[in-house]
Amino acid sequence: MSGFLERIAGKLKSYREPGYYTKLDHKWTMVIDLDKCNGCEACVVACYAENNLPVVGKEDCAKSRAFSWLRIERYVEGEYPDVKVKFIPVMCQQCMKAPCETGCPVYATYHNQDGLNVQVYNRCVGTFTCATYCTYDVRRFNWFTYKWPKPLEAQLNPDVSVREMGVMEKCTFCIQRIRSAKDKAKDEGKPVKDGDIKPACSQSCPTGAIYFGDLQDPESIVAKLAKSPRRYRLLEELNADPSVIYLKRVMGDGTTSHE
Amino acid sequence: MDKAVLGLFTYADELLDAAKRLEGSGYDITIFSPIPLGHEIEHKLGPRKNHIKYFTFIGSVAGLFFGLLLTLGTAAMYVLPRGGRPIWSITPTLLMSYETTILIGVMFTLMSFLFFSKLPSFSKKIYDPEINVDYFGLLIDGNLRGRYDEVERILRDHGANEIKRVEETEYNS
Amino acid sequence: MAPHHTSDYQTGELKSRDLSYPTGGGISYKEVNDDVVRTMTQTGKWYYIALAGAVSGFLAFWILPWAYQIYTGQGVTGLNTPDFWGIYLTNFVFWIGISHSGTLLSAILFITKTPWRRSIYRSAEAMTFFSVATAAVFIFVHMGRPWNFYWTVPYPNQRSLWLNFQSPLMFDVFAISTYATSSMIFLYFGSIPDLAAVRDRVTGWRKQIYSMLALGWRGTDSEWHWLFKAYTFFAVFIIPLAVSVHSIVSWDFALSKVPGLAKTIFAPYFVVGAIYSGSAGIVTLMIIFRKAMKLEKYITLNHFDKLGMLLLVMSLLWSYINVIEVFTGWYANTSPENETLIYRMFTTPYAYMFWLMIFTNTILPLLFIFKKCRTSILACVVVSLGINVGMWLERYLILTTSLPRKFLPYMWHDYIPSWVEISMTLGSFCFFAMLFLLFVKLWPSVSIYEVKEDIGIPMRKGGGHH
Repeated sequence: MSGFLERIAGKLKSYREPGYYTKLDHKWTMVIDLDKCNGCEACVVACYAENNLPVVGKEDCAKSRAFSWLRIERYVEGEYPDVKVKFIPVMCQQCMKAPCETGCPVYATYHNQDGLNVQVYNRCVGTFTCATYCTYDVRRFNWFTYKWPKPLEAQLNPDVSVREMGVMEKCTFCIQRIRSAKDKAKDEGKPVKDGDIKPACSQSCPTGAIYFGDLQDPESIVAKLAKSPRRYRLLEELNADPSVIYLKRVMGDGTTSHE
Repeated sequence: MDKAVLGLFTYADELLDAAKRLEGSGYDITIFSPIPLGHEIEHKLGPRKNHIKYFTFIGSVAGLFFGLLLTLGTAAMYVLPRGGRPIWSITPTLLMSYETTILIGVMFTLMSFLFFSKLPSFSKKIYDPEINVDYFGLLIDGNLRGRYDEVERILRDHGANEIKRVEETEYNS
Repeated sequence: MAPHHTSDYQTGELKSRDLSYPTGGGISYKEVNDDVVRTMTQTGKWYYIALAGAVSGFLAFWILPWAYQIYTGQGVTGLNTPDFWGIYLTNFVFWIGISHSGTLLSAILFITKTPWRRSIYRSAEAMTFFSVATAAVFIFVHMGRPWNFYWTVPYPNQRSLWLNFQSPLMFDVFAISTYATSSMIFLYFGSIPDLAAVRDRVTGWRKQIYSMLALGWRGTDSEWHWLFKAYTFFAVFIIPLAVSVHSIVSWDFALSKVPGLAKTIFAPYFVVGAIYSGSAGIVTLMIIFRKAMKLEKYITLNHFDKLGMLLLVMSLLWSYINVIEVFTGWYANTSPENETLIYRMFTTPYAYMFWLMIFTNTILPLLFIFKKCRTSILACVVVSLGINVGMWLERYLILTTSLPRKFLPYMWHDYIPSWVEISMTLGSFCFFAMLFLLFVKLWPSVSIYEVKEDIGIPMRKGGGHH
């Protein structure tokens, strides 16, 4: 009897636990070393290819409807000739306290056991709340049903669904690769090793600026890099607890820069 | 078939005097009016009960619990963590329950109104369309056989403009 | 036939025939019935022209563009990546705001037993219901996949997915459906005696419809008693409900993190703004309504005098909240606050709208300090239309000056509405006009029995007003 009551009490207590999960299976984290990033946008192209992102064309791009889940933000500082151009790759930060998740009325976006912010395309009704609440402007909306011209539809990634009109979407940390790596590890009866999973952006980065791994594994490279004194997170003061960690760029004069 | 007498009055106070007199003699009376005479009737014939308030209260409490059950229950049945918030968060739950309290409170009030006022009723009833314009009606119902003359005399004494004997149930609804 | 009752005993109290209601000694009970039934049965040429205009405007400006938008996608609007909410949400908040005076005012004035409520409240409540309907349609218009709207409704399903009751939009679904239901019930149950009065006067198809609608009302003592008990409870429920509805609408914005939207003052600000714009809407509508239906006897300058005072008070409250919003933001001096304030007031392409809004909502209503203006139809038209324009701009500015300036400057992008959005905005006014035009023909739009109550209860031995 007392065991039963304890189980009930434990259950009720878990419903009041902030974020519900007391222990995550993994905590997938991305570390981006801005000192290594040269702004070549290879990651952006890889993301388009991997995730079946449509190319919207000149006009819609000018209307700020470009589909890049991952973008290189460019900032120009100072006047010519003393001008500095800085850049920073920004994708969905997979916030642990994501403002977008509470906004959705139909649970089209929620938090999964891997600490990822998941978007369920089929459930989305398109109320735009998540995108409005997102402080990083990383959510993309299917304004039209996009079509791929004739031979190009053959190169669509079969592991990723093609989204229809009226659906919100965003960077998933290449969840299809995470899934297949986990499946493979499960078949072999081993845990997922650090380095087994590489999202498209990380894989294609020529300078190796993007690291990906499980922060809960103390041996992983991201866990080690996360202790770096150069570490910072984007808009940390907004308290959304993002999962992407940036390493500041070291300038010529020895100072560090956020971009 | 019961028979009845319907007296039509021009002035409300005369109607109420007649009603008081007839009620005192043990007749079944119904007052018709084009405007609500609540205060005047209560003043003359004594206060009336307000049963609706109990139903409103029950409905509101039921609504409150319905809201709590809906928000907490479905959140617990389909656990989907979001935004670092607990599955059961207090403020939204109270907000939802606030709305359902009002909604179901209104519904119960509505139902109890229909129940007590016996509406909707589409069967034929004694009625005169003039009542909805500017006449006040006093219907003396029940078994009046042999007492018509007395009732009519009382009505006339109190200033009834028109007196109708209702043999069969007349008039529409 | 007996003589019909008039309110002769009140004549002594009335000072001016023009400004007072009821017009002393003028109206008999029968005349009230005649006048109200006349608004329903006698239809002029202009009514048909107006109705045809409203219906075709609704079809052309709303239904066709909407069909085009559903078929093509939300891309036909001017929305873009930071500005996901534009004119559609503006219109949604605007129409919910317009709805906030009818029923709320009617309920407050009913509980406080204010006599001037009686001849205007029916049409004001109808205005509430129709503007909630218009606002509700905008929820569907702004959705990316409106054909899946039923996913936001709590019903048992096989998908093992319920609703996120933590979402401000879910609060909206509950609040607005409760509000629409309650105000419809309030409107309908207040009209039952009048529907019965109409039933007794009309013939043919109308007779059948009103017999159904009147529920067999006979005007017995017990029917009146229970109706008033129930009606009082409806009124008591409506007041906190209306306040909660617009607070919840404001939380759609205020529960985000976006500077310019996430403000603690938003809930009272929106409630005040809603009552403000709703009262202005009532003034505009009543002026047209009394003129078109020749009801000057019932809706008198006295009503506009009282509504003018209300508008003046709401204008001062609204301006006060605006001043604190700017003042506290400026005083706090944090960079996102500063950025938003400067953008809203000076650097946005919509800056002229901000100053126009200040003019129409703060300066123009000051005219109502003077009784001459409150009782002048021309001044009432100008000020009430000005307020409504200003209130629409307020909602527009809230969205278009905060979303284009979110946290990351790289994504800053201004919002320019497309023709589809502007057309649907026009269409919503046609839709509202269509509903209201149908209402005045199909429903007793002035409360017969309450105007009679105002005339007084006929008593042989003097007596008095209850």
